[in-house]
Amino acid sequence: MKAKPETVDTAALDQAVRLVTDVCERALSGDLEARVPVIGGSERAARIRTAINGLLDHVDAFVREAGAASAAASEGRFHRRFLTQGLDGAYRAAAEQITHSNQVMSRTAAQFAEAARQRQALADELESAVLTVSEQVATAATEMGRSANGLADFARVAVNDAERGLGTVSSLRTSSDEIRHAVDLINQVAAQTRLLALNATIEAARAGSAGRGFGVVANEVKNLANETSSSSEQIMNQVNTVQQSAADAIAVLEAVTNRIREMSELVEGIALAVDGGQHTENAGLSQLAEVLRAEVSRFVTTIRDS
Amino acid sequence: MKTTRVRPTGRERTFSDGELIVTKTDPRGAITYANDVFLRISALDEDDALGQPHNLIRHPDMPRAVFKLLWDTLKDRREIFAYVVNLAADGAHYWVFAHVTPSFDDSGRVVGYHSNRRVPSRDAIAAADDLYRVLRAAESRHPRAQDAVAAGHATLQQVLAERGRTYDELVWDLSAGGTR
Repeated sequence: MKAKPETVDTAALDQAVRLVTDVCERALSGDLEARVPVIGGSERAARIRTAINGLLDHVDAFVREAGAASAAASEGRFHRRFLTQGLDGAYRAAAEQITHSNQVMSRTAAQFAEAARQRQALADELESAVLTVSEQVATAATEMGRSANGLADFARVAVNDAERGLGTVSSLRTSSDEIRHAVDLINQVAAQTRLLALNATIEAARAGSAGRGFGVVANEVKNLANETSSSSEQIMNQVNTVQQSAADAIAVLEAVTNRIREMSELVEGIALAVDGGQHTENAGLSQLAEVLRAEVSRFVTTIRDS
Repeated sequence: MKTTRVRPTGRERTFSDGELIVTKTDPRGAITYANDVFLRISALDEDDALGQPHNLIRHPDMPRAVFKLLWDTLKDRREIFAYVVNLAADGAHYWVFAHVTPSFDDSGRVVGYHSNRRVPSRDAIAAADDLYRVLRAAESRHPRAQDAVAAGHATLQQVLAERGRTYDELVWDLSAGGTR
């Protein structure tokens, strides 16, 4: 049986077309708040209204989901997914694509977070290691500085002792010279005594038997003078030996003193390297360790903040 | 008001997975648009719905604290998701997974609110029902509405703290096992 055709109310139809056109134009310009109000009394008008409003509802839902899901992903709130429920066809396909993109972003963000965490851990380890090393270096530097200063003191004392020894040996040489002068004097006296004894012997011989006793005395005096000369010669030999030994000792002591002075300079070099010069650009080991610690601390802070 | 007249019958109504319940309100919460799905599920005529406050379909089982949170979030110009049980005009009830967003004009002013509602999974409904029972129990101990809201809110925060989740995360946890 054929349905009875609807009676056409031209005025109502015109109004319906105007309302639908208006809503469509607003939606076209991006105003998704617009919906078709109740129009006309006809069944067909009600159907077109439901269809257009349904279309707008789905477009509206898609736009709200796309905006909100993307915003959430960009803020790292990946638990907020794109709700595909209630959307079909192209809407659903696009929604699933956005969901997929967000999941990829989520994984990337998680990887970044993990990399950052590892960087933090590395920074912590580096900081801790450098702190330990710099503390140990500082301790070692202090210890080395103390030892170097001890060595320098020791060298100074040794140089002083050697110089004192040098003085002693030098005075020994002076004494030897004086002994040599004394022995020379004794030799001269002995030579003159020998001459006197010779003259006395000659005079005793001239006196004949009367001078015999005197001759014996003169002979004894000559013998004494000879013994004196012989002893003096021995003394001179001894003195020469002492002087030679003293010269050797002086050479040795001077060599030792020079060695200790050289050693002292080397020790000062170590002390300078450890403590740093007060008036030079050179930083000491402790300062270098502190510079290293500060630099690493700055580096670690940069890494932590990045 | 109609909400005070309708008595829940305990009969549950559902809608299909592919359907969207859509309503729009003005900034004060008065309904300016309701789609055909909303009218059908709520057993309302369009004339009965338009211009009415949205609590027209408020079910007594809904904790006050959830609506408080909803309006606070919207006032903050942010979207909110919530599991809501609504009361139809004929006394039936229906659960929805509601997504409410502010609508802005070109100058960024809030011109109203928009709610898309989807059908939740049975698991999500069961979990939300349990949670709301706890919140209702906390609220029912206070005769003054203000105190009840505060008590419900405190209980909700306590539940979230115990789970180590934000409200948003909890809601999405429930939806994770839900239908798509």
